[in-house]
Amino acid sequence: MSGATVAGVHIFGVRHLSPGGARHVLEYLNELQPTAVLIEGPGDASAEIRHLTHAVTKPPVAILAFTEDLPVRTVLWPFAVYSPEYQGMKWAQEHGAEAEFIDLPSSVTLGLQDTLRQETGGRPELKPVADEQGEPAEEDVQEPESVYSRIARLAGEHDYDMYWERNYEHNASSGAYRAAILAFSAHMRELSESKERSDQPREYAYNALRESYMRRQIQRKIEEGHQPEKIVVICGAYHAAALADLTDVMSDAELASLPSRATKLTLMPYSYYKLSTMSGYGAGNAAPHYFQMMWELMASGRAEELPHLYLSSVARQVRGSGTHRSTAEVIEAVRLAESLAALHGGSAPTLRDLRDAAQTLLGHGDLAVIADSLARIDVGTNIGSLADGVSQTPIQDDLNRLLKRYKLEKYKSTVASDLALDLRENRRVTSSEAAYLDLHRSVLFHRLELLGIHFARKVPSSQSGATWAEHWMVQWSPEVEIEVVESTLLGETIEVAAAYVLREKLLECRTITEASALIVTACECAMTAQMEESSRVLQSLAVDSRDVVSIAVAARELAKIIGYGDIRKVDTAPFIPLLEELFRRGCLFLLDASGCNDEAAALMISAMNDLNTISLEHSEIADTALWLQELLQLAQRDDRNPRLSGFACAILMERAAIPAGEVAAEVSRRLSPGIPADLGAGWFEGLSMRNRYGLLSRMSLWEQLNDYINALEDEEFKRALVFLRRAFSTFSPREKTMISELLGELWGVNTEQAAEILTGELKEEEAKMLDDLNDFDFGDL
Amino acid sequence: MSTEQEQLQDYMRLPAEVLYKDELEALRKEDTGRIPAGWQMSPRSVLTFIAGGMAGKTVITPKYIGNTRLIEMAVATLVTDRALLLIGEPGTAKSWLSENLAAAIYGNSGMVVQGTAGTSEEHVRYSWNYAMLLANGPTPEALVKSPIMRAMEDGGIARFEEISRCASEVQDALISILSEKTISVPELGKETSARKGFSIIATANTRDRGVNEMSAALKRRFNIIVLPAPSDLETELSIVKKRVAEIASSYELQAAVPADEALLKVVTIFRELRSGMTLDKKEKVKTPAGVISTAEAISLLTNSMALAASFGSGELTDGDLAAGLQGAIVKDDDKDKLVWKEYLDNVMKKKGADWRGLYHACKEMNE
Repeated sequence: MSGATVAGVHIFGVRHLSPGGARHVLEYLNELQPTAVLIEGPGDASAEIRHLTHAVTKPPVAILAFTEDLPVRTVLWPFAVYSPEYQGMKWAQEHGAEAEFIDLPSSVTLGLQDTLRQETGGRPELKPVADEQGEPAEEDVQEPESVYSRIARLAGEHDYDMYWERNYEHNASSGAYRAAILAFSAHMRELSESKERSDQPREYAYNALRESYMRRQIQRKIEEGHQPEKIVVICGAYHAAALADLTDVMSDAELASLPSRATKLTLMPYSYYKLSTMSGYGAGNAAPHYFQMMWELMASGRAEELPHLYLSSVARQVRGSGTHRSTAEVIEAVRLAESLAALHGGSAPTLRDLRDAAQTLLGHGDLAVIADSLARIDVGTNIGSLADGVSQTPIQDDLNRLLKRYKLEKYKSTVASDLALDLRENRRVTSSEAAYLDLHRSVLFHRLELLGIHFARKVPSSQSGATWAEHWMVQWSPEVEIEVVESTLLGETIEVAAAYVLREKLLECRTITEASALIVTACECAMTAQMEESSRVLQSLAVDSRDVVSIAVAARELAKIIGYGDIRKVDTAPFIPLLEELFRRGCLFLLDASGCNDEAAALMISAMNDLNTISLEHSEIADTALWLQELLQLAQRDDRNPRLSGFACAILMERAAIPAGEVAAEVSRRLSPGIPADLGAGWFEGLSMRNRYGLLSRMSLWEQLNDYINALEDEEFKRALVFLRRAFSTFSPREKTMISELLGELWGVNTEQAAEILTGELKEEEAKMLDDLNDFDFGDL
Repeated sequence: MSTEQEQLQDYMRLPAEVLYKDELEALRKEDTGRIPAGWQMSPRSVLTFIAGGMAGKTVITPKYIGNTRLIEMAVATLVTDRALLLIGEPGTAKSWLSENLAAAIYGNSGMVVQGTAGTSEEHVRYSWNYAMLLANGPTPEALVKSPIMRAMEDGGIARFEEISRCASEVQDALISILSEKTISVPELGKETSARKGFSIIATANTRDRGVNEMSAALKRRFNIIVLPAPSDLETELSIVKKRVAEIASSYELQAAVPADEALLKVVTIFRELRSGMTLDKKEKVKTPAGVISTAEAISLLTNSMALAASFGSGELTDGDLAAGLQGAIVKDDDKDKLVWKEYLDNVMKKKGADWRGLYHACKEMNE
């Protein structure tokens, strides 16, 4: 029989995701009726074939192997319904033949990858995962001017995919397909092997190891009693030539000497989106849904109807999005696609022909109109599924249980959906589980976020005050599945894993800000033990800290939890002493920290704001008397940052903690003639940052300011101008008008005149004066 | 023969089928593909004629430089006897492509309706020789056929230029022609049916506002292909180079063909102004109101050559280029002048020593 090797074993080379290949494999198997089907795939995953071919299993699915210990390395073998390997397995199951994976076990694959990683000192040269299935056609991704694009160009096609589809997928004759692909890959191998041996010795060695192992497995199968001519090997076309001769077989000793890492295997649902190259993984094909259509039509013997199905599906999508396209246009699009194919001497249009025809007829020349529809038809949103409990990790089980319990299963879809949560008790239901359903969901989402599982993404709420409302964008994807599987190393359940991550983070935590953020996380994840632990960490960090800014941030976060903690059913009592302590430290170091430059003063002002808010909102916890006392000190000191002193004064004025007479005295002291501009005007800037109406209502203050400015020397005036300009820049137009009115009153001009001068255009000489100011050396201001 | 050639040389511009007569003949001779009814050569040969290649030993020059896939789509459209509509910005070689397609497929690119606001339905269908009509009544001899009707009878390709400039009722006349493939002449009680091979290549402009938008019914009868501006600097440079050399030789301009450096400068300026961004994508540039197409660049360069030949030394100087650039870019006086000034000071000034001469010349010109 043609195609039988030296040993008599039949080798069928395929492209991994190829409907044409799948169809020819099936025909070949039906013709040969083998007793064993050997497939290129991880040798230790043979037990999974049973689950892969299970009636409930819906491709795309993938075998995922991951290392048991850190650092986690993963490797994936995806299968679509049109994978020749998948169809081979199905056939074996239906016909009582044995199906087995014969490539290196995942433990060795990952072990080798690790070795390579160490040798290259970074990412291994080996491409992620499925590329390693030895698909030659995929290598053109890395080498733009590769043999593959040259082949395409010589064949008069625009890219290699077009060439491949035209010459192999559309090849209807089974024998011709197999012979062509064997000859093609043998030639390819001849061409690239020597180059690879010298340029990429690691890859070359890796492929040699795999092939030697595969030969060993084929040999073993023969020894088990299968007739060689009743064995069919389905492998990547690239390896077909190397598996023909079974003389060089890997020995036991050689196998034992290969690096290896302990791995676990699981099956996972996969998605067409992920399979398409759009999502980054090198393996896969760009249009999985298109190939599925091709496969389905081939299976029912109507392959020639693909253009009709494809283009009318696109038209339907386009219509669905509100653009009318007639059936006549679909007909013409089919004709154009067929005419394009004929121009290349092809028997049927390729995907590129169909897409171009769709753009011309359905998009009226414009790709933008149909781009979305094309993506939907090419890629599709299909996502695979597995029977419940099929080789899952404990954490996957736990997550599925939680999703079921919190009625979130319907969100397990690749289409993103919006979920609004109301964390308050739902009083219309009886059980407490139902009453706090949304709270439980929120806790779960936060835990997943902590674990780095991107299932739910929090949408910032516009209503920042409403702590009971949360918006989440929920979207399931195979990446999420991988992330879930990866977290199995952190713990058996979501809760345990989340606790582990939080504990790790607490150990690494070095600053108060980090610690307070972790307290918030612990609260959101409802992890009481970690909350206590993190507050201990925060406390111990706070003892040594004199940084008022971060103390204030931490105190603000704590105050928020104490204020609204009951919505999350969190016991906030343990935080009260901590807040008290933080607040006190903030007060005590305020004066010290206020001796800073203007840059740092901006942060200090927000810290002072925070502390003031806490003292107002939590007066039962915070030591208000101490706060006011420290503020008064700061307000009166001349050796601190004048802006902060002014700001302290403003807070005191606002809280009526300083008598009006004293304010007046302080203002006249600060703004008395002879005081340097940065002290006087800087102080005024701080003062003006709060409570503006209070300022505007005090006529005496403006009189004093007026007198002060009048008394300034020319040079000093220019310096003062900088501060004053900055102070007034944040005033609203209305407030500015009020000031101009006040000043008008002071200067005895009529208010309208004053406003006119202030808001009118600059006169020439005034403009010149301002221009001169541009040359003014502001020094260290 | 020699007199015929002399006569040909007197024409300002030759139609594509005459200009590339040798290439077309070579292609026809070497053609091995199946030739569709009414066509002069196989679709593959048409493709070679437009995209360039070899026919036996004859070199076929590329007529349309850029995306060959677009040409494939155009040819495939005409194979399916569908009408083809080429749309794009001004100066994206729409008419040029349509002329060359008609020349290759039909051997005659002269069946043209030139669309204007004044084009009437008679130009699309048929009209009468009124003297004969009055003398003898409606007779076949008195019938004046439009280019489209003649192409139908002959099974050839008619061209419709600037279709969106015609009033919509004139455009509507095309609808039934394209779907029925017949023109009925009720006065004579007969109708003209199109022979195999008949098709229409229309062109339309996307840039001009205020022209008549095509109806959905008419659009539906065309396969629409959008011709883009050249995708990269090299493509545009080679287009400009080829066309400038061709035009220079046909107009017998006495100036030397501009150096590559001058071409590069002009194409760079045009691309930057068109895309609103410097080539290195680091700086934003304001775009002028007018069209900055490849065709403008070609005519600018030939203009400058004419200037140099007639009033200068015959060598293209920076001054000649600057005058051409000024004319091509500053169309809407005030605004474009500012745009151009800004470009000169913000972009061109920083381009280094090679550009200094041109910069000063442009600066002077724009004062």
